[in-house]
Amino acid sequence: MRLLTHNLLSSHVRGVGPRGFPPRLQATEVRINPVEFNPGFIVRMIPKVEWAALLEAAGNLHLIEVPKEPIQGYEHNEEFLRKMHHVLLEVEVLEGTLQCPESGRVFPLSRGIPNMQLRDEETET
Amino acid sequence: MDHAAAQLEKQHVHDVYESTAPYFSDLQSKAWPRVRQFLQEQKPGSLIADIGCGTGKYLKVNSQVHTLGCDYCAPLVEIARSRGCEVMVCDNLNLPFRDQGFDAIISIGVIHHFSTKQRRIRAIKEMARVLAPGGQLMIYVWAMEQKNRHFEKQDVLVPWNKALCSQPFSESGQLGRKQPCGRPERGHPYHPPCSACPCSVCFEGRCNSKRSHSVDCDSVLAGTCCANISKEGEEENGFYNTLGKSFRSWFSSRSLDESTLRKQIEKVRPLKSTESWANSTISIQPSRHSSFDLGHPETLSAGEQNLDEEVFVEPSQGPLEWLRAPTTCKQLNGDHPGVIRRNGDGNFLGGTNAQESCVDEDNFEESTASGSKSWRRISAADSTDSNPGDAISVEEQPNVLDSRAFMRYYHVFREGELCGLLKESVSELHILSSGNDHGNWCVIAEKRESCD
Repeated sequence: MRLLTHNLLSSHVRGVGPRGFPPRLQATEVRINPVEFNPGFIVRMIPKVEWAALLEAAGNLHLIEVPKEPIQGYEHNEEFLRKMHHVLLEVEVLEGTLQCPESGRVFPLSRGIPNMQLRDEETET
Repeated sequence: MDHAAAQLEKQHVHDVYESTAPYFSDLQSKAWPRVRQFLQEQKPGSLIADIGCGTGKYLKVNSQVHTLGCDYCAPLVEIARSRGCEVMVCDNLNLPFRDQGFDAIISIGVIHHFSTKQRRIRAIKEMARVLAPGGQLMIYVWAMEQKNRHFEKQDVLVPWNKALCSQPFSESGQLGRKQPCGRPERGHPYHPPCSACPCSVCFEGRCNSKRSHSVDCDSVLAGTCCANISKEGEEENGFYNTLGKSFRSWFSSRSLDESTLRKQIEKVRPLKSTESWANSTISIQPSRHSSFDLGHPETLSAGEQNLDEEVFVEPSQGPLEWLRAPTTCKQLNGDHPGVIRRNGDGNFLGGTNAQESCVDEDNFEESTASGSKSWRRISAADSTDSNPGDAISVEEQPNVLDSRAFMRYYHVFREGELCGLLKESVSELHILSSGNDHGNWCVIAEKRESCD
């Protein structure tokens, strides 16, 4: 699971609503996969990122410092874009957990695949 | 009601995909060209979700976007992951995403697996929720109206023909290499079939001379791993060659007495009257009125279950003789949804019509007219002949392809039904276009700007 994916995830345990975002990420195994740098892609991705969630996840993974917010004029700042490219696309969590910040429910992440399925009793409305 | 629906889906959707996932190794699935086009038209830098991605055939179509594949079936997701895709396991009914995160979403051959109208609506609404305003959603569902087959009811159980899938990957080491794939990104031996039409692409390519959508065939040809048979005019044994040596020997080692087979087919056809679905509006699909003739290169029509009928062809058919029903690797047991309740919302579980139908092949993709007509229906009996009193004794004959095993539930959609569903119940989506694509009703809808 890449951090760009994590940025989209939200726990949907019954009753937590928007407070299920973002799931707390813990990793026991992380891999770095080189990915071809595509600045246009990253530039377009930046506005879509929920920055606080990204900061928190990158922090939990003890990654390089991620700027607190997109740099002014980031579209032309290659250093910034490369850093974001690395954080969003090259870091892959292979083993770990995702925890609902509201309910504490833990979702497994194994072989790079998060499993966010809920049991019936957790979903019935 | 919802529990019964969930139980049905567990038994006849989730468990089936989970059991058959290991067999999704060799046969290429059909990547619908219009879906590919939809994905390629998305702006660079888009975030896209494939909800019900199966083994991930759409996840790498567009390298300029970030596509996340999700599926309920962990084994299928594992296969997609092994192909280098970004994937996860989740439930369409409770998507674990924040609101409005995705620029586009595709749902190809998924909604038709939900067994109640409410669940279908819920699945669509969940996708609409996680779609950004202005973002587009593409949905494909199997159409009830088919040129070459007849669905008696909208809620059907369609058998799975295990014969059409290769052995589990661990046993079929060389199968993948025997079928080089035209598409560079599919170098991996796993060439998963579409979740709903595992083998249609194999046949698709053979029919291209007759198909009106030659462009589609080209793309199918490029993508199919069964490269041998995808060439037009390929000799009639091409398909069998493609299956691979080890696969063929696996079958021939389990050759069966044909008269025994016929008896089993007669037995399994009708549902036991005591089974709950015998009283429901679900039907088991009857045998197709089509024949298989090795003399015609474009014979094989799309559909994973066509081969089911081949199994029981007389030995005089030649190369087919060795293709016998294998031992089922897993039989679905006789458990049924606990309670059948009446329900007025169009849910099949509330129906009371007895069903007596024959098992049939699965055909998510509509075949060409010429292709299917050349099939020969093997047994004389059809739904009118079946005896409702016969029991399906699936446990007693371990050597027979259990026609009830791996049966998948579908709610096939009538023309206009999908659009009607959106208009009536998902007002946050605005329909941009709709139509029929190879036997599927498809819709492209846009999330309205001023929602939520």
